[in-house]
Amino acid sequence: MKVEAVLTVGAVRGFLGKLLTEGVVDYLLVPLGISHGRSLAQTLVKDPTHLDQANPFSPVMPVSGAAIVAQLTIDKPGKRLGAVLKPCEIRALVELVKLGQASLENLVIIGTDCLGTYEVEDYAKLIDGMEGTTEEKGAKVLADMRQGTKPLPISLRPACKMCNSFTPLLSDITLGLFGIEDGVFVSLDDKLAKKLDLEVKEAPDRQQAINQLLDSRTQAREQVFAEFRGRMESIVDFANCLDTCIMCYACSSACPLCYCRVCFFRTDTFEPESERYYRWADREGALRMPTEILLYHLTRLNHVAISCCGCGMCESACPRKLPLTTIFQTVGDGVQKALNYVPGRSVEEEIPLATIPEVKV
Amino acid sequence: MEAPIWALINLTRQPFGVKMTEFEPKILAFLCNWCAYRGADLAGTSRFHYPPNVRAIRLMCSGSLDPVYVLKALLDGADGVLIGGCHLGNCHYQDGNYKAMRRVEVLKNILRQVGIDEERVWLRWIDASEGGLFSETIKQMVDELRIKGPNPMRKPWQVWQETVGGKSSIESKPKKERVK
Repeated sequence: MKVEAVLTVGAVRGFLGKLLTEGVVDYLLVPLGISHGRSLAQTLVKDPTHLDQANPFSPVMPVSGAAIVAQLTIDKPGKRLGAVLKPCEIRALVELVKLGQASLENLVIIGTDCLGTYEVEDYAKLIDGMEGTTEEKGAKVLADMRQGTKPLPISLRPACKMCNSFTPLLSDITLGLFGIEDGVFVSLDDKLAKKLDLEVKEAPDRQQAINQLLDSRTQAREQVFAEFRGRMESIVDFANCLDTCIMCYACSSACPLCYCRVCFFRTDTFEPESERYYRWADREGALRMPTEILLYHLTRLNHVAISCCGCGMCESACPRKLPLTTIFQTVGDGVQKALNYVPGRSVEEEIPLATIPEVKV
Repeated sequence: MEAPIWALINLTRQPFGVKMTEFEPKILAFLCNWCAYRGADLAGTSRFHYPPNVRAIRLMCSGSLDPVYVLKALLDGADGVLIGGCHLGNCHYQDGNYKAMRRVEVLKNILRQVGIDEERVWLRWIDASEGGLFSETIKQMVDELRIKGPNPMRKPWQVWQETVGGKSSIESKPKKERVK
């Protein structure tokens, strides 16, 4: 049975430490402040003394935690791992489990409510411009983000602005921020609560705060979708979205769902002998180089759109800042609705590409 | 003036009785070894006529076809792509054709959303004994592609040169097909 408790923000680190000392988990994957708080990095913690820089509500997401959990669990090492993950990371992890790339065995998912994340470089600049100790800066950013009334000088990543799934869909322990003024809402198993010596309290009413944010985010999302769909008249419009792509493959490296060890775009599958390029140029008089930009993005869409969780890591990684979040979310939304599938919703629900569909006669 | 050798080759590749100027659709067919490819074979041995616009590639199963190869064909200017698999329930590998069906469903959905005509991709179930069906399918496909006209990706440089809001000479999809 799930029970609720409320902690102060400062007490969350102690709570995470207790998970280690009480032996609930052997290792903890949690964002830790690095470079004097200018950034945070997912860190695998064994010794709880290292948790003094931990921030489960990290305002940046340099890499998707789902990819890291996959790396740590794919061969089922038998270690009890606790992973502090954002809702989009959990959704991606669920998809990876279904794709056979990660395992939930011995894994304790500590899901957090997400206030959104900033681009890594924006956040570093913000921290540089602030005064006080590292600790104070981090606390101030979190407080400002929670209040929402005082907008920070930097804006959320495009994916976060249109995210409508900011509470964990699946978690063993939930660390909530919505619906309470300044504490942290904890939802966990009653046996675990007893073991950790947590004072059980009545749950605050989170739904209203969640719905309020959901409405505005859904509106933003629909607007982005409508704008993109209205624009896509022919292949020219799609090519226009991607015209400055430099084929660096950063988007596929950053995407938690692009899990192939060797992508065939990085092999010579589509790299013919040079003679062919000249022949193609002969045909029309001009050949755009590099040649496979549209093929690359359309193939990636075909491979991941059905499972796209909307983390937006692709766009954050893109050196040209191509509107990849918009493309993948919009096209993904169309595909997912057509096949009646919600990525990350449940581990049991199979990915439609791997199931035998009912035949329409 | 003497025609260069490649022009002669081009001439000989034109179907008999068709003028050079007429648009000839190029179709790439991915055919399953166990059914559609044998159907095509049967069409040949049974002397069923079908237009010579199709180039066949044999696969071991329609389910083994990654969408990337269909996309590659379309983006390199093929006017149509035919995927031929076994009838549902007849797959040599149990459920490969179901997988092909789902993949093609996703592929077409994506093509529609990014402004590529999804009707250029055909998925058809053709049995090893259905030589007649194979030739009919090709005839039908060629007829429909003739109406559609050439794939805009035959001129990829033109696609890259077109600008937003500019008057586009590139085929655009009919409004009613838009995903809402």
